Amino acid sequence: MTASTAGPVTRASVPVKLLAIVLAGAAVSIALGVYGRVHDPTGEKPYTLFFSDTINLKVWFASAALFLAAIQVLLALRLYDKIHIPRTAPPWLGDAHRLTGIVTFGLTVPVAYQCLWALGFQSTDGRVLLHSLLGCFFFGAFTIKVLSVRTHGLPNWLLPVVGGTVFATLVLIWTTSAVWFWREFGFPSF
Amino acid sequence: MTFKRFVNVIEIVTLVVALGFVVALFANEPGGRAGGTAKSGPGYDVYLANCARCHGQGGQGGVGPKLAGVVTRDFPDAREEIAVVRDGRASMPSFKNDLSATQIQDVVAYTRTQLK
Repeated sequence: MTASTAGPVTRASVPVKLLAIVLAGAAVSIALGVYGRVHDPTGEKPYTLFFSDTINLKVWFASAALFLAAIQVLLALRLYDKIHIPRTAPPWLGDAHRLTGIVTFGLTVPVAYQCLWALGFQSTDGRVLLHSLLGCFFFGAFTIKVLSVRTHGLPNWLLPVVGGTVFATLVLIWTTSAVWFWREFGFPSF
Repeated sequence: MTFKRFVNVIEIVTLVVALGFVVALFANEPGGRAGGTAKSGPGYDVYLANCARCHGQGGQGGVGPKLAGVVTRDFPDAREEIAVVRDGRASMPSFKNDLSATQIQDVVAYTRTQLK
């Protein structure tokens, strides 16, 4: 009796969990888009750190984030036994996967801040519009991924799909910004 | 400290920094702080909507060059500045499809008279 009642409750809760997670991600994306649209772009350069210009910082941070994200994907493939290098998975593999994800996120935040605060959500041409949309989508998808990791009982396919989506989005964001910069202005100095 | 604990610490620090950036988005909201400039009128509206994101809200420069106090020196004749806004130059885009001739005149007048 107990088992027969527990089953339907568990099955029913999965779509609710999924919906809540997707709604949270959508809320983040929409909030960023609304802020970028409503906020008056300052056009300022809030920080350069040790770089010669903010745009150089953004290009290098975005490139470093993409590099780390690629490593994170490789670590995930090893965690899921899709690749077998190294032959025996070390016990710290999961934590290394987490660490690369955290640092990747940490690198994207100052870049996104400058984009939102100084430039806002723009639609002056196709590249800029796509970059603005993807930038908002990225943080929503990232939110979904983090919540998916923390929520138990979700379908096994969810994490790889969401993780792959986050990585693919980052590749497109990088292509519409850093690669565009390289093509227009040359390889950036520090 | 174990590796897991180290990762936990980095995670918390990153979250705090990210929250700090979110707060900064609102704390640093300009809200028309371009000191000494007219904050109304057609030129101001056009400038805010099209120019401020690169040249700064007060014309102090940013992604694009500084305008405040130097635009009349760089373009002694207003028609030269109008041509640049209309046709674009180097990395600055053309605005001829986005702004009417009147809007371009308004925004050029704004940059020449109100951005100090």
